[in-house]
Amino acid sequence: MFYIHQTSCISPQHTFGDADINKLAEPAEKRLQAIEPSYDAIPPGVLRRMGKVVRMGVGAAMPLLQNHPKPDGIIIGTATGGKDDCVKFLNQIIEYDEGMLTPINFVQSTPNAVASQIGLLTKNHGYNVSHLHLGLAFEFAMTDADMMLNENPLNNYLLGAVDDICTHHYYFEDKTGWYKKEDVSNKTLYETNPAATGSPGSIAGEAAAMFWVNGMEAGAVAKLQAVDTLHQADESIVKEKLQDFIEKYLPAGEKIDLLLTGENGDNRLLKYYSSCESVIKEDVTIARFKHMCGEYPTATAMGLWLCCDILQHQHIPDHMIKNAVVKSRYKNILMYNNYKGVQHSFILVSGQ
Amino acid sequence: METTELKEQLKKQIIEFLNLQSVSPADIKDDEPLFGEGLGLDSIDSIELIVLLNRVYGIVIEDPKEGRRILVDINTMADYIEKHRTK
Amino acid sequence: MDRIVVTGMGVISAIGNTVAENRASLVKGTCGLGSLEMFPSKFSTLLPVGEIKITTEALKEKLEAHERGITRTTLLALHAFKESLADSQLTSEQVSSSDTALIGASTVGGMCLTDEMHRDAQKDTPGSEYIPSYDYASISMYLQQRYSMNGPVNTINTACSSSANAIMFGARLIRNGRAKRAIVGGVDSLAKFTINGFNALHILSPDNCTPFDEDRKGLNLGEGAAFIVLEKEEDVAGKKIYASLSGYSNANDSFHASSLSDNGDGPYKAMSDALALAKLDPSQIDFINAHGTATENNDKVESIAMLRLFGKAPAFASTKANIGHTLGAAGAIEALYCILNLAEQELYPGIHFKKPITGLGLEPVQAYKKIALEHIMSNSFGFGGNCSSLIFSKA
Repeated sequence: MFYIHQTSCISPQHTFGDADINKLAEPAEKRLQAIEPSYDAIPPGVLRRMGKVVRMGVGAAMPLLQNHPKPDGIIIGTATGGKDDCVKFLNQIIEYDEGMLTPINFVQSTPNAVASQIGLLTKNHGYNVSHLHLGLAFEFAMTDADMMLNENPLNNYLLGAVDDICTHHYYFEDKTGWYKKEDVSNKTLYETNPAATGSPGSIAGEAAAMFWVNGMEAGAVAKLQAVDTLHQADESIVKEKLQDFIEKYLPAGEKIDLLLTGENGDNRLLKYYSSCESVIKEDVTIARFKHMCGEYPTATAMGLWLCCDILQHQHIPDHMIKNAVVKSRYKNILMYNNYKGVQHSFILVSGQ
Repeated sequence: METTELKEQLKKQIIEFLNLQSVSPADIKDDEPLFGEGLGLDSIDSIELIVLLNRVYGIVIEDPKEGRRILVDINTMADYIEKHRTK
Repeated sequence: MDRIVVTGMGVISAIGNTVAENRASLVKGTCGLGSLEMFPSKFSTLLPVGEIKITTEALKEKLEAHERGITRTTLLALHAFKESLADSQLTSEQVSSSDTALIGASTVGGMCLTDEMHRDAQKDTPGSEYIPSYDYASISMYLQQRYSMNGPVNTINTACSSSANAIMFGARLIRNGRAKRAIVGGVDSLAKFTINGFNALHILSPDNCTPFDEDRKGLNLGEGAAFIVLEKEEDVAGKKIYASLSGYSNANDSFHASSLSDNGDGPYKAMSDALALAKLDPSQIDFINAHGTATENNDKVESIAMLRLFGKAPAFASTKANIGHTLGAAGAIEALYCILNLAEQELYPGIHFKKPITGLGLEPVQAYKKIALEHIMSNSFGFGGNCSSLIFSKA
């Protein structure tokens, strides 16, 4: 359990700076690409070496680092961090036949590049770690922050996640069937869901979302009540786990007001979402977010950013709604996501 | 090639190779140190520049320490290129 | 605070395929460095490596692991993982229980298949069976599936200190009540990718590496895997206990992407934070398994940091002279060697050392010693300034 005090997000939607999530930006060439700011806070001498994923991660982190004293640690989830530079370096190895190669791509290819660049830029000597476990990378970053704050209740942490659609990653995912073969608009993404009439795959996506977290309730935007994970292919076991999760972590006498799911238009994964929706009561609003950021391993960080925005403004854009229930107030948000049908995450976030 | 022409070309190549987005050739003075102050390049850049000299001018520098003597400023680089280039 | 103890170990490296073989080689001061034989590279005879002389095919046969897309990295991990489970005598129910965590680390993952990955990354190629394996997480994912694990399964990265952080994260899961036991470690296999990468930085030695020697010429890469089983002391009545994990830390040098600061601020903080957590004075450390890569930068800076913190440095050595720098596996393999030091109450001869670094004068342990040991530190530093230290104490 910890408190989220400030958030920042660079995504395919208007989430950075003056955010407006009611407007829905659409994909181009089957990719929902981030709207990148000008990164004025990053010195040009440093920016020149950054690949896109590092740039987005550091760029999203900077506003939080400028408004606070140094955090006691930097905890990042990323599955693709550094991968673009990996392939650039691979290309050099092949093109120059193991000849004289420039090391910069190699240095930037380490997946800890985002966390370590943030540390380097802000001269932070504290805890610095990257969690890479694909669709659960951000969940373990959250777990880490949660444990850190349990161990050091007075500390502050920069917690976040970032992944980008680098060219080769797009090819990898496309070749293994995780993106839709047909052109699809994010306005109709969920219509391609049904098992019988729908199609497999989703839209490629990317985003960076960062959070300033600590153990202080005063002034917090949201409270991260709990996060849990599971590797499982059987939807009935996933459903049981979700039931246990709610029972264990939803405060006594309270109810879930909103279920935010990672439904992504892939007709092979709908069964998990339907099964989890069946756990909650009928008077719960159901909303989705992958049409905003596309599918990528740490998408739940964008989901958490949206949870914070919804709790703050008590408003959910129409384009997110799957099942509308008129609410006087949104307090408890349950988020369920699954990555490729094997990695599942359960997150409970509450407002004041 | 004239030395001045070589220096102009070299500046453009350095900017492109090191992705010095906010720098133009006119910003780099011939006798301004490339490392530390001046352009503010570091040890990784010095290795990158050794690779540049290899790929563009066919110059082989095995020891990065030797590189540091050649990569002082545009003048020293151009001088070395004129004497040792193989392409 | 709960005492976290080590109840099982598994390792494979250039000096042995099991814990017993590794110990025997360490006692003798065996050097596992030599020519690269398992895949073609221009550097195969030019740059020594610490290679495990078992082919990927033979590993598949031995481990009965014939799944599509499985890579050498995953196979090495499986080899060590399997040994650690057998050693700790965990039942299959315990392994798959929701309170057993698996925390892995790797910096190469499936990128050991450098050429295949390059081909798959092109637009119009059909895509090989290896695509899902290129990811760093693929190793933990494989072990999770093979052993039907239902607890927390994660993959951590802090570059060359990755598996030290996997150990630390596993211990913290136990201390925070999120797991009863954790199987933690790391793996990396040799790859054209890393050989060319470190070569581009001019930090690979053309000779066998010489940690802490005045004339050191750089590091040698190695491959290997190690896993250890961590449990709470109160849960393991009657089981053999090798050592306890009494301290750990993660600090950032925040100086440069690929080299350490002159004064070793990151290494200093990592070592002193680990001591603080273990509630130990520097004088209580009997031995340090140093990061000791044998690069000009690391060994000098690590020595300076040791002198700053300890005044007079404790006995130390770097086992990278035996097995090379195993990157994502280094933290775990070296932690396991420290656990062996404690369990056997012995120090192993540091090899290849001739002359101390001018002005620093530190000499690693060079002869086998039977000696009383209470507390041992293992250092791991990585690109991006990621410095970590672990402290193990006598069981």
